[in-house]
Amino acid sequence: MYESIVDLNLNDAKVRTKWQAFLKSLGIANFSDREVDKIDFTIGIYNGDELVATGSAAGNVLKYVGVCNKGVTTGSRFNAIVGELVNRLFQQQVFHIFVFTKKKYSESFQHIGFEQLGDTDVAAFLEMGGPNIHDYLNDLLKVPNQQYQQIGAVVMNANPFTLGHRYLVEKAAKENDFVYVFVVSANTSLFSADERLQLVREGLSDLDNVVVVAGGDYMVSYATFPAYFLPDNVTATDYQTALDARVFKIQIAPALHITTRYVGSEPLSKTTNQYNQALKRELPPDVQVVEVPRKQDQTGAVITATRVRKAIKAGDLSNIIESLPSSTYDFIKENLHELQARITKGMTIDGN
Amino acid sequence: MEIKQTAIAGTLESSDIQIMLSKGQSGIQIDLESDVKKQFGDQINAVITETLKKFGIDHVKVKALDKGALDCVIKARTIAAAQRALKTADQPAWEVL
Repeated sequence: MYESIVDLNLNDAKVRTKWQAFLKSLGIANFSDREVDKIDFTIGIYNGDELVATGSAAGNVLKYVGVCNKGVTTGSRFNAIVGELVNRLFQQQVFHIFVFTKKKYSESFQHIGFEQLGDTDVAAFLEMGGPNIHDYLNDLLKVPNQQYQQIGAVVMNANPFTLGHRYLVEKAAKENDFVYVFVVSANTSLFSADERLQLVREGLSDLDNVVVVAGGDYMVSYATFPAYFLPDNVTATDYQTALDARVFKIQIAPALHITTRYVGSEPLSKTTNQYNQALKRELPPDVQVVEVPRKQDQTGAVITATRVRKAIKAGDLSNIIESLPSSTYDFIKENLHELQARITKGMTIDGN
Repeated sequence: MEIKQTAIAGTLESSDIQIMLSKGQSGIQIDLESDVKKQFGDQINAVITETLKKFGIDHVKVKALDKGALDCVIKARTIAAAQRALKTADQPAWEVL
């Protein structure tokens, strides 16, 4: 039986009610604006008046895929929906697609060409298309005989790069033959991904055994993981941090022979602290986690990028000059108005 | 011929095959998934390779998701993907057919 795929307009209240009711019947209950607003398009299959399959795309992430297999060959509607989503994204020149889903659906996605990057008890994270994680890892700089060397890693958002970040990397560089510094690529911070990467590079350029690389799609800013499909009793942060840690452990660390990951202690931000705890829980024994106490300035206050951003907002850089390498300080001084304009336009400076 | 952009052709419907081509450096590398790979995997790979060679494509990564396609379908989908990848979809290569 041939069933045609139609566009669903979620702005139409009647369509949206039906769509929500259908997904609810499949156990997806979270329709918060944070999740739904990001959807670019939604498609569905009707059998008569009844919605029997649906799927959506938000950027390069597939979301809200739900299928009823009553009366048809298992998998056929699922293949049709996901195939159509993939085809449409490819037509938009999006060739690299991700999906976050319940663990039990991971296999269905793998059957149609997705590769699993990591999973936890409740969720799985998959990708298809390219450049994929193997391409990403292949392209990274390697040192000779890397498998016999002591390799460390630091992952940072560095919004912006401070002497606190540098302190962490210096320690890693002292204790390892070679250190990868991954800068989170998600463009959701006051400083853009390119700016953050550039400032980290400049701030560490004198350390010979350190290479600074973009985290790409794999050092995901865990806060961006969609969480709509989770059961109520699992908090989003727990799953997001665990999944991020698993991807690092299963994909990144073995390919680069990373044996130690350095994190800054987190006395101030609850979320980041939860993330550190998740890393300590997930990474050993394959990867050791070293938590380094935060560097303090002369007054005994810990150096944080949050404080730097607040100073930018206030327009008073005198208090932060000692927390920053000259490269970052000069950049802020030159671009102060632009940065302030971003804050005025609504860029949040709290968080990470 | 150089792959200019990643391209895809075909669907995941039964009896079809989805072919994705992307840039590669080391020959024609085919990653085939098929329920009948054991029986027809070599034949499917041969059809894809032969079709790509007719386009003069020597280095390419191929991801093929087969749902039981016949040779003529495999060939048609490979041609479509190749022309999209080479950005020549507006000039059908009749001689390859």
